[in-house]
Amino acid sequence: MAKEGLGLEITELRLGLPDAEHQVSVVNKKNEKKRAFSEIDDGVGDENSSSGGGDRKMETNKSQVVGWPPVCSYRKKNSMNEGASKMYVKVSMDGAPFLRKIDLGLHKGYSDLALALDKLFGCYGMVEALKNADNSEHVPIYEDKDGDWMLVGDVPWEMFMESCKRLRIMKKSDAKGFGLQPKGSLKGFIESAAK
Amino acid sequence: MMNYFPDEVIEHIFDYVVSHSDRNALSLVCKSWYRIERCTRQRVFIGNCYSITPERLIQRFPGLKSLTLKGKPHFADFSLVPYDWGGFVHPWIEALAKNKVGLEELRLKRMVVSDESLELLSRSFTHFKSLVLVSCEGFSTDGLAALAANCRFLRELDLQENEVEDHKGQWLSCFPDNCTSLVSLNFACLKGEVSLGALERLVARSPYLKSLKLNRSVPFDALQRIMMRAPQLSDLGIGSFVHDPESEAYIKLKNTILKRKSITSLSGFLEVAPHCLAAIYPICPNLTSLNLSYAAGIQGSDLIKLIRHCVKLQRLLIMDCIGDKGLDVVATSCKDLQELRVFPSVPFGNPAAVTEKGLVAISMGCPKLHSLLYFCHQMTNAALITVAKNCPNFIRFRLCILDATKPDPDTMQPLDEGFGAIVQSCRRLRRLSLSGQLTDQVFLYIGMYAEKLEMLSIAFAGESDKGMLYVLNGCKKLRKLEIRDCPFGNVALLTDVGKYETMRSLWMSSCEVTVGACKLLAKKMPRLNVEIFNENEQEDCSLEDGQKVEKMYLYRTLAGKRKDAPEYVWTL
Repeated sequence: MAKEGLGLEITELRLGLPDAEHQVSVVNKKNEKKRAFSEIDDGVGDENSSSGGGDRKMETNKSQVVGWPPVCSYRKKNSMNEGASKMYVKVSMDGAPFLRKIDLGLHKGYSDLALALDKLFGCYGMVEALKNADNSEHVPIYEDKDGDWMLVGDVPWEMFMESCKRLRIMKKSDAKGFGLQPKGSLKGFIESAAK
Repeated sequence: MMNYFPDEVIEHIFDYVVSHSDRNALSLVCKSWYRIERCTRQRVFIGNCYSITPERLIQRFPGLKSLTLKGKPHFADFSLVPYDWGGFVHPWIEALAKNKVGLEELRLKRMVVSDESLELLSRSFTHFKSLVLVSCEGFSTDGLAALAANCRFLRELDLQENEVEDHKGQWLSCFPDNCTSLVSLNFACLKGEVSLGALERLVARSPYLKSLKLNRSVPFDALQRIMMRAPQLSDLGIGSFVHDPESEAYIKLKNTILKRKSITSLSGFLEVAPHCLAAIYPICPNLTSLNLSYAAGIQGSDLIKLIRHCVKLQRLLIMDCIGDKGLDVVATSCKDLQELRVFPSVPFGNPAAVTEKGLVAISMGCPKLHSLLYFCHQMTNAALITVAKNCPNFIRFRLCILDATKPDPDTMQPLDEGFGAIVQSCRRLRRLSLSGQLTDQVFLYIGMYAEKLEMLSIAFAGESDKGMLYVLNGCKKLRKLEIRDCPFGNVALLTDVGKYETMRSLWMSSCEVTVGACKLLAKKMPRLNVEIFNENEQEDCSLEDGQKVEKMYLYRTLAGKRKDAPEYVWTL
């Protein structure tokens, strides 16, 4: 249900990736065996070329390797989440007269985020967006550290959490042709579309 | 010469020997010493609860009073060992109770402890005094209530980093009104509310209470009343430190603290408002130990202001939000520092956190440093070489670079030379944890120079079997070896199988060993338990020899195969 609420076909595939927080969960111990490699992480490629290592090196994507860094489970549960709870980002929604702030650190994954956005902007059409994905008029996007606007859901949650600077819930009509633009020009495209 | 003395004299002399390893050595000298040592030994340490049976222990040391037990492999801390692997304490307590052992102290780490175990423990040993539980699980406040109610001479209840089910019971109220024996009480890891009235009354009637560590449910004003009633406290763990600085309670606490000179160890601040920290500045000059590694609410600048006052610190545990700048302050303020632990404040590292610069500053300012645990974003060979030169007294050196295969960012070289300098310079090194990009060269250095190394942790390192062979061949005193995600295979595993009987345990996960090699090893060495974890439920058929082993744990044992292994653990 929450997946449909995001209204993104691409997103549904990505949400299947295990969240890092699940790695310490007893209930989800099966997830410990999943160690997907993300092609998006350019850093891994750099390391690979410099070290000359084989496949093993490519498995060190830091958001996905079980048990790394070696911080004990108790500490993760009791201390680090609070440390992470300083990750406020601004959220704007087209058509809404004001911005809100949301603490990414308090959410476990994309579905949590969708529910939170619903609470923040429900009266401006988010409810409809959540209930009827195909007819949703809004698309959530975010600005990353490089200043590029990205679709929410394309990368693993931890990576998103690290790089997200702010969020925008854009009218789908304004994003028409969005996916056809190369990455480098997204920012300019959105700015022109917004004018 | 010693053999001319009567047994009574030898017994008296043995009483002065307290170290476990020294006692072990005494028992090997001759039959007479073996017998005397056996009858007089009161404290026993067992590093792996599956290495010996409780019955054998009791037979060997009938005068046992204090037992220390460890359960799960160390990597259980990092979610690499399944929840239900084992490590149950109940059979031990049952055996000790059945044989009427006069147990007084029990220390457990990474073990599964049930309420039934605690209930049995509380009823079976008349003079039970001390329970220390570290990283244990399986029990609730109901078990604690039984201990409180039944252990009439309880002095120490120390709960560190346990997963405890909190039934909102009034377990503190179960301490009887005539209980005045407490010296140490630590319930910082409990999640739920406690009865503040019961706590304050307990503290008030405990004149010997030296150490008290509170959980986050104990509010500011209760803390003030507790400090008023227990002027003798030297070790305080604060749960909640949040209040209005203009309030009467804050002013009262400030005044109470001004009179309190006895506190030398401070920890906790599980909930904290930075503007309240000034209240504790008067305590700081006397502190020798400070643990703020769970104080997520204290940011770097506030940390620095606080630590500037702590000029006698010997032990410091903090989060990496202190930054390199803060470590500079530690280096200039804390000249007596012996142990430093820097933990990450967010799961994958705070970008503004500590680097090699902070560690170099510490090594220059704190020459007495001998124990280090350091999480950081990057490290260079040059920095490690400098640290090795400045601090040759390290016995524990644990470096965790958050990006596990990161090379020296200045030279893009592996970190072999840096770690090589550490093991070459620090000849007393007993514990070492590696990270960053490393080739087999680092293991050659370790094998050559780390003569006293007892525990080694390796991750994402090495190039071939040679790396592991250098370690096994060179480190004569090695007890525990933990390896994950390294290209060590069957040749490394099988070349020196006799070595494993001189060690406590070996863990290998995500390496290149096969089922066949493990079977061969188990066959050759019947006194080793070789366990393979087959967590993939789709494979219900038997394991094929050529199949790679995902997780393997082997340990020496006199007890043979354990009977409590779950289905997915195959003991070969």
